[in-house]
Amino acid sequence: MAEHVRRVLRLWQLYATMDLLYLARGPQVAITFYVSDFVTGVAAVTATFLLAERFDGIGPWTRAQILFLLGYSLLVRALIDIFFNYNLAFISRRIGRGQLDHVLIQPQPLWMALLTEGFAPVTGSGMLLPGLGLLIWSGRELQLAVSPAWWGLFAANVLASIAIVLAFEYTWGSLAFWAPRAAEEINSDSWRLLTQLAPFPLDGLAGLALVSLVTIVPVGLVAWYPSRALLGIDSPVWAAELALTLSAVAFAALAVWLFTRGLRHYGHTGSTRYLDYGHRR
Amino acid sequence: MATQDPLVTSTTDIVVELSGVRKVYRQRVRSARLGDLVGNLLRPRIRVVEALRGVDLTVRRGEVVAYAGPNGAGKSTTIKLLSGLLAPYAGRVRALGMDPVRDRVRYVGRIGVVFGQRTELWWDHPIAATFEWKRVVWNIPRPRYERMLGLVRELLGLDDIFHTLARELSLGQRMRADLALALLHEPEILLLDEPTLGLDVLARRRILTFIQELNRERGVSVLVTSHDMAELEQLAGRIVLLHEGEIAFDGDFSELRRVLTARRLLILETSSAEPVALSGAELVRSEAGRHEYAFDPRQVTLAQLLEQASAVTDVLDVETHRAPIDEVVADLYEHWLDRSAARTVQTPSTVATGGESA
Repeated sequence: MAEHVRRVLRLWQLYATMDLLYLARGPQVAITFYVSDFVTGVAAVTATFLLAERFDGIGPWTRAQILFLLGYSLLVRALIDIFFNYNLAFISRRIGRGQLDHVLIQPQPLWMALLTEGFAPVTGSGMLLPGLGLLIWSGRELQLAVSPAWWGLFAANVLASIAIVLAFEYTWGSLAFWAPRAAEEINSDSWRLLTQLAPFPLDGLAGLALVSLVTIVPVGLVAWYPSRALLGIDSPVWAAELALTLSAVAFAALAVWLFTRGLRHYGHTGSTRYLDYGHRR
Repeated sequence: MATQDPLVTSTTDIVVELSGVRKVYRQRVRSARLGDLVGNLLRPRIRVVEALRGVDLTVRRGEVVAYAGPNGAGKSTTIKLLSGLLAPYAGRVRALGMDPVRDRVRYVGRIGVVFGQRTELWWDHPIAATFEWKRVVWNIPRPRYERMLGLVRELLGLDDIFHTLARELSLGQRMRADLALALLHEPEILLLDEPTLGLDVLARRRILTFIQELNRERGVSVLVTSHDMAELEQLAGRIVLLHEGEIAFDGDFSELRRVLTARRLLILETSSAEPVALSGAELVRSEAGRHEYAFDPRQVTLAQLLEQASAVTDVLDVETHRAPIDEVVADLYEHWLDRSAARTVQTPSTVATGGESA
């Protein structure tokens, strides 16, 4: 276990260095990267922000709580960009383009390659600053009583949210083992669905729609539900945390099951399609 | 022309062993007719393609084996089986005493793979960065890495391109870098799937020479696929010809020639621009008084042909050659194709309807 942790840290260090070297090729590259990521991130939350500004909040959510929700959703997205770049979040592209072969000829467990190869802390961090900025700003406005326990919950919720997004992406992405081209389209749409709807509070939705958005398409578990728990809207907090953790475990288990089945299928059929872009360029 | 060191090849240490290996793919047969729409959805027709049909193959330590065959013969499937990327449908694949799929992590650390149409290089990084990446991911001890790096930089002439971005390299340079990358961890087996595809003569020669030296000096076992028979002959002592998933020939090149054909080429330079008709020889081409004939020395001797020619024209110069290996094998492939076509007419290819049918 300790050996695996050391190895993962060493690989993250390697990929971080490569990422820095990539960005350091020239100032234009660096500026373009950061500006475009920043604009994309801000654009993703602008609609909700403007609504909150115009109506001084949305439904039961105050303006400051909405800002917290937006900051949280951007942070989750930024961390996925940082840790699962190079199409490791869009796993259908790796699978469907025959690029798993590149990973399978590396002498390390597959999970280790998937966990480390997409680490891009420099080029992937475009949304990190706006996300953290919104969280700090809203935290001050809400005068949150931030204790070590709250930080623990915050970290656990962020991890659970990331796990749910990745599990959802891997579940749909694993279809690429059987239908490479179609799964790429589905995976892109599933990503858009999660990231574009995540910054919206779902309180006003009727029962069935709400249940669907925290189960079938777990948009509500990406930012809305974890934010409610962190802001103390849902009580008791432990029940909300338990529900979130169990959901993350269930989604992850489904993704692992499907991915493993797909991998077995891949071992029998291989990939008849190969595209060279999207994994190392 | 065998180029192997007998000392290296004399060992009986088997590094690759395929026993009765079968690989089956199932392909959906889709009709373009609108009327078949529902049928395509509900009861899809599945064609069973046997990529490998009971292949038995062994490769000894230090051996260079050319693995050839027409498109679709099963060459790349074999390389993928040996790379641990595919599992066999039936039969057993062992390499370096391991199962390439079950023991993947341990196994791939001891082999090198190069796919000619793909690159392992990081596209937006200099070659040096990819090499460093390889050192860390493969966990190569620093002294071994430095030693191999020095070797590949020198033998493959990488110094000029070592700090160039992969995407700025020519195909030949990229291939050299890819080959070097595959060797940094000092693999015991090198699997090369069309490593010289699309390369010019110079780049090709450089890579072939390197593989030969690597085999001679370090005893690396090499399994190489290519469509260029002359190249394979230069590289390998042994050729395995694959046809429709079965090994059609396994031996050395001279034996292959002997088995396939005794065809020779006769080139006559005459005073006349018109070619002379020679009984027992077939005119292949003629240009500006230079006429090329193919003949079988078992049917007609060279002296008889020269006598025929001299009787009707002034022969200024004479050259004879063995038929190039490419032509020999092309004839063979053509023969196989004809045979397959004939068989297809008699018995249509296996088509099953729905479900698992292989």
